Amino acid sequence: MKCSEVERILSEVLDGASSGTFPTDVDAHVKSCPDCSDLASDLKLIASEARQLAASEEPAPRVWLRIAAELRAEGLIRDSSIIDSSTRDSEPAFARPVIVPVPVPASPGWRWSALWLAPVAAAVLAAGAYVIGHKPAPQVAKLQVPPPAVASPAQVTQAAPVPAAPQQVAKKSVAPAGGNVNGAGNGNETGPAVEAAVEAEASTEDQQFLSVVSTLGPSTRATYENQLKAVNADIRETQAYVDRNPQDVDARQHLMDAYQQKALLYQIALDRIQ
Amino acid sequence: MAAGKGDLTDPKQGSTEAEAIEQAKQGHEAAFEVLYHLHKRRVYSLCLRMVSNPAQAEDLAQEAFLQLFRKISTFRGESAFSTWLHRMTVNVVLMQLRKKGLPVVSLEETLEAEDEAPRKEFGTKDLKLTGSIDRLQLQRAIDRLPPGYKTVFVLHDVEGFEHNEIAQLVGCSIGNSKSQLHKARLKLREYLKFMRAEKAKTG
Repeated sequence: MKCSEVERILSEVLDGASSGTFPTDVDAHVKSCPDCSDLASDLKLIASEARQLAASEEPAPRVWLRIAAELRAEGLIRDSSIIDSSTRDSEPAFARPVIVPVPVPASPGWRWSALWLAPVAAAVLAAGAYVIGHKPAPQVAKLQVPPPAVASPAQVTQAAPVPAAPQQVAKKSVAPAGGNVNGAGNGNETGPAVEAAVEAEASTEDQQFLSVVSTLGPSTRATYENQLKAVNADIRETQAYVDRNPQDVDARQHLMDAYQQKALLYQIALDRIQ
Repeated sequence: MAAGKGDLTDPKQGSTEAEAIEQAKQGHEAAFEVLYHLHKRRVYSLCLRMVSNPAQAEDLAQEAFLQLFRKISTFRGESAFSTWLHRMTVNVVLMQLRKKGLPVVSLEETLEAEDEAPRKEFGTKDLKLTGSIDRLQLQRAIDRLPPGYKTVFVLHDVEGFEHNEIAQLVGCSIGNSKSQLHKARLKLREYLKFMRAEKAKTG
């Protein structure tokens, strides 16, 4: 048997050789020919390694958020009651259902307390737009820049700061972005302190958000908390990368996506509450 | 079906899935999310391998799940749920590739690739991949494959579809699927060897 013949049929032979053995004529050639032997083992290796790639990637949390939003919009979610406990107990660790509350009779005060979520969601988006729309600058100068407050989606895509409306809320929401965007390596000695303050403020904001959500039930709160942690981690990591690679357009877009995801999280909570 | 090699064989997990399907038919959001989490990695990874673009892969995974959830009331359990979902995902991806005018499997691609097909250089050293492949390098090599090759390789070697299923899904002959898979593997081997050589040079 010739090398060219073996090469031509090798893939098919490999696929059929589940026991790891070749037909006699092929086997005889492969054993006596180092090149064909190498080719056979390489192709086998590629095929086996490729199998490891199935299910190797984790989608960003925003994918589920978008799907859930679409399902709600289309009316496919008709019942938001909690899935029964026997099912939940048998769920694998990675299956963390968003437990949608049985419609909670919201008190006027409760509704009012949730109203701040809307501008915060918008402000988170504006913060993202602001971050990707501006190159890193010295820290002090950046802190003096009035943060954008509320932006329409169109404004966000243009990365254009807009006049502050609910200024207080906006400042809080923008703070993490503004703080982080300063980044490492700018030589400003106040950086860590300012970033720590910013982190604390962001954490307060998230805690307020979670306290509102927790009235929908502990499971709902836990789910939102997990989502929030994931998106905050994404923002932090991407921000750090953007700080190191400010010209990386893809990274800046990813950062904007992460902010949009956080805004979406707030918006979904608002939709459920109202 | 081979694509179901990674299906839910754990009875506990299968039971979770079955219950979630029934509750999703009633419109329970939590059930939809359980199903999503059970299958998200497989669906997203498939999309990502096929289009090599994370943002696009997210859109496609979203579309695949939405199509599935819209039709979930029609699911009667004749085939495995995961099989149903993965076929739907493949169709969503292939539809997208066709819309973009990218060849799923084309004669032109086959001919062109034959001309460029890597040749064995008999008598030269260092032909072997030395028994290990870095996963990241393999991903990058797959990304570099021509679309037609990539489709067949991902469906067969990554996702575990059989050639007759691939032929049905992409609309080619079984022989064509086999041929493209073989050439894809040869090309990958060359890419991987090239990457390894580059890494050795720089490093």
